[in-house]
Amino acid sequence: MQARHRTALFLLPAGAWFVTMLVLPLVVVLVFSFGERGEAGGYSPAFVLDNYFNLPARWTAFQNTLTLAPVGTLACLLIAYPLAYFLAVRASEKWRTLLLVLVIVPFWTSILIRSYAWIFILGGQGIPALISAMGLGDIKLINTPFAVLTGIVYGYLPLMVFPIYVSLERLDKRLLEASADLGSPPWRSFLQVTLPLSMPGVATGCMLVFILLMGEFLIPAILGGGKVFFVGNALVDLFLQSRNWAFGSAVAVALVVIMLVTVTAYMRLTSRWAGGRDDLSLM
Amino acid sequence: MSDSNNTISREKFMAELERFRKGSVTRRHFLGVTGLGVATAVLGTAMPGLRPRAASAAESIGDRVVLATWPNYHDPENFKAFKALTGAAVDMNVFGSNEEMLAKLQAGGSGWDVFVPTNYTISTYVKENLIVPLDMKQIANYDVASFETRFAGPGTVDGKIYAVSKNWGTTGFAVNTAKLGKLASPTTWKEFWDMTQAEFSGRTMVHDYQLTTIGNALKYFGYSFNSIDAKELADAEKLLMKAKPHLFAITSDYQPGMRSGDAWLTICWTGDGKQLNRDLPDIHFVLGKEGGEIWSDFYAIPKSAPNPKAAYALINFLLDPKVNAKECLFHGQPVADKRVDALLPPEILKDPILHPAAELLNALEFGAAVTLTDPHRAELMARFKSA
Amino acid sequence: MQPDTDPPIAEFRATTKMFGEVGAARDLNLSIRKGEFLSFLGPSGCGKTTALRMLAGFEAPTSGDVLIDGERVNDLPAHRRPVNMVFQHYALFPHLDVTDNISYGLRQRRPRPAAAEVAQAVEQALETVRLPGYGRRRIWEMSGGQQQRVALARAIINQPKILLLDEPMAALDRKLRRDMQIELQSLQRSLGITFILVTHDQEEALSMSDRICIMRAGRIVQIGSPRELYDRPNSRYVADFVGKSNFFAGTVSRVEATGTALAVAGGLRIIGTAAPGLAPGQTASASLRPEQISLAHGTTTADGTTCVPVRVVNRIFLGEHTEYLVQHDDLGAFLVLVPRQAEASEGSFEPGEPAFAIWRDGTALILPEDA
Repeated sequence: MQARHRTALFLLPAGAWFVTMLVLPLVVVLVFSFGERGEAGGYSPAFVLDNYFNLPARWTAFQNTLTLAPVGTLACLLIAYPLAYFLAVRASEKWRTLLLVLVIVPFWTSILIRSYAWIFILGGQGIPALISAMGLGDIKLINTPFAVLTGIVYGYLPLMVFPIYVSLERLDKRLLEASADLGSPPWRSFLQVTLPLSMPGVATGCMLVFILLMGEFLIPAILGGGKVFFVGNALVDLFLQSRNWAFGSAVAVALVVIMLVTVTAYMRLTSRWAGGRDDLSLM
Repeated sequence: MSDSNNTISREKFMAELERFRKGSVTRRHFLGVTGLGVATAVLGTAMPGLRPRAASAAESIGDRVVLATWPNYHDPENFKAFKALTGAAVDMNVFGSNEEMLAKLQAGGSGWDVFVPTNYTISTYVKENLIVPLDMKQIANYDVASFETRFAGPGTVDGKIYAVSKNWGTTGFAVNTAKLGKLASPTTWKEFWDMTQAEFSGRTMVHDYQLTTIGNALKYFGYSFNSIDAKELADAEKLLMKAKPHLFAITSDYQPGMRSGDAWLTICWTGDGKQLNRDLPDIHFVLGKEGGEIWSDFYAIPKSAPNPKAAYALINFLLDPKVNAKECLFHGQPVADKRVDALLPPEILKDPILHPAAELLNALEFGAAVTLTDPHRAELMARFKSA
Repeated sequence: MQPDTDPPIAEFRATTKMFGEVGAARDLNLSIRKGEFLSFLGPSGCGKTTALRMLAGFEAPTSGDVLIDGERVNDLPAHRRPVNMVFQHYALFPHLDVTDNISYGLRQRRPRPAAAEVAQAVEQALETVRLPGYGRRRIWEMSGGQQQRVALARAIINQPKILLLDEPMAALDRKLRRDMQIELQSLQRSLGITFILVTHDQEEALSMSDRICIMRAGRIVQIGSPRELYDRPNSRYVADFVGKSNFFAGTVSRVEATGTALAVAGGLRIIGTAAPGLAPGQTASASLRPEQISLAHGTTTADGTTCVPVRVVNRIFLGEHTEYLVQHDDLGAFLVLVPRQAEASEGSFEPGEPAFAIWRDGTALILPEDA
């Protein structure tokens, strides 16, 4: 009995944090979403469903987010996996540390500054100038969905690389020997052993990147030139510019619901892949 | 900071300042130990904070003052001097629209000590009880008589001064004339929007700001910049939606795009027009013949300011004509203070960007308070951006 | 086991494997007979695992050749070799269940064998390792011993020409290890597959192997049947590694067909069988197994025996035998193993008691000092 009390005591700070930092804001947003825009903007109490009926007005933003978040996640995965594989399996000890640091280094500066650097790289005097100088024609990169995608991959790559790296690094190399011993050529060993055993890392990385991308607004604002509008941008706009907090809350609630649904579906799917295992690091 | 002879700790500085104020050391000794001699040589002798009898304004104001303002709107050298003088570093938050500033203050917890609202927003701030009437005794450098009423007037609401004039200016457009080819340089908003959808497709930027973007779309049809008429707004929306695919960007930070050559045409405020033109003479600043916006910016103190003492000290410092003249030379926005004009070189006063011809100025309108709070304009802008 | 004249199933020919400057295996020469149970025995780092891994294809020799079934396989990748391995920690695939682990090898074959055929082979393999009905279990639901059987089934289902076992019982407790050793041995006989076992456990090697290859510092020291190695070790190292032995250092004083005499401390002489090549004047060690020495309360002058006075230091009761540690003034401490019956007739010896240690001349082995 005493032990249980003590446990409860230890959980108190975490519980308090959970309630004030997670539950409370969600409740506030939910309440606001049924309200109305105040006279000078902001929120004025009411109970109406108008905000939800008005959601289709942000259809484009949802459409952009729901396309570019999965596409961005996939692009991150396709680039991160070989990189993580190289780091965990191929790189020598000496290089591994250096390369890992290089992967993290961009995280040391703010995403804002890093994205601004991309404005110049993708801008008229950057890559397009190079391509045009090579006689390959004029292209426009900056302020396009492609630029946003580039920024996304750049910004979120480490979040994808690290979980995959860890799962590959933990992978028992003897399993690959066992696979070869049993007659599997290397590429098939990769598909039959390495890939399935790195799925927890892949699942974690995809989840991290996808969830964060669903709320992204900085990269589309900077590299999309305000023309590639995410739900995150719609939220910034509704809370900071048009100051329609009630509608903004409804959009936020819709985003949370969409995320809950996709994440739940995703977790169901990945746990089916994992065959109900909770521990893949078995010796 | 390796040369210890020229630097002293902040604590030491404050201690020395205290002794100086009590008259126990001479002014020369004070300037010597604090290294402020250099700063005063730059700023001249008109630094009121250093006069013993006015020094009470410089009593400890904390080490930080938070300023919410617009991009490219202050000379960093002045902030350095302010820190050297008072020990308070200026922590600058940059914004792109008055709406955003209003939203932050409405949400509470902004942490700002001073902010820079535009003329048409002040009455709303007063109505929403977000700013306080200023204690003019603490802003000795504000001389009502020397400010042009047209620009300083909106700071006074119900007979009380809530905000003091910072700068005034106009909203026109900047065009990179090197990219015009055989086209004649545009002089009207009609040409601005037409070029955007034709020869300059993919090269135009508009503000991420309802007042100027909707306002100048309204000017295409000859409507008022401030219109909230449903039919007129519908026309403006149609134009904006048609133009959107041709835009390079929707952003209030348009200098980088113009400087890199990616964008050739943009809605533009006076100071940015001046800065661009100064560095890239091909870029011209144009006021649309149909009119557009004339504005004035202010310093105001939020009711929630954590450090009002520092806020007053900063406003007073920046309104010192000498300091203000430096500001003006840096950002290129005209000042409504005659005392400042007197310190500026004559070519600035004759500059057509800063001081446009009277007939162009007469066509301009001050933003109306209603545009800030009107839900239709807000939602129109949001639809335009999210389309 | 095939007669010596048949071609070997595997061969090392002057095989050397270097890791940088370190010679993990040096100049190995060994023929492995079809159907035999061969063990590589030696302490860790002796090169036994490297030898095994060169057969499996995980390491390529630096020089010399490795042959399997008459074919040079130096450059043949692991997945194309007709051998299978039971790994030290089993290396079972954690993401697959027991059936999918066991069928893994069959499923790698091209053309793919029919599903029914695979299923039947798995059933049979599970029968063989006495795990029927465990097919749908998860690996982590199995005990260590069960995992070991799965690893075994996963290897033998492929009917390899050679089964390689890399310390397969190291992770099992003593009792389980004993059972598994017996099982492995009978399995090897019933399957008729060549088994090559790597172990550092001499008891394991002695009890299971047809032949043992003793290695030291990358080299093969001696190859032979357990009995040969026990009775005729060619060096003090082997004698020490295979079974327990007492060693007495000295100088060879006389070499004759009837026996070689080694002059040891205190003017004593130990007569024994000499390894070839020992000449008078050379330093050598006499190896006397504890069971070759007996203890008595009284002295004896019987012909052809040596009898020395000792003091009993310690006594360990081992059931069938009692092991005594005794001290001789000149020879130092050595072990004597007294069988139960002998103790019954002679009586027991208490620590601290004086006694006489007796051995028959000629039973000792005179071995050269290790290089």
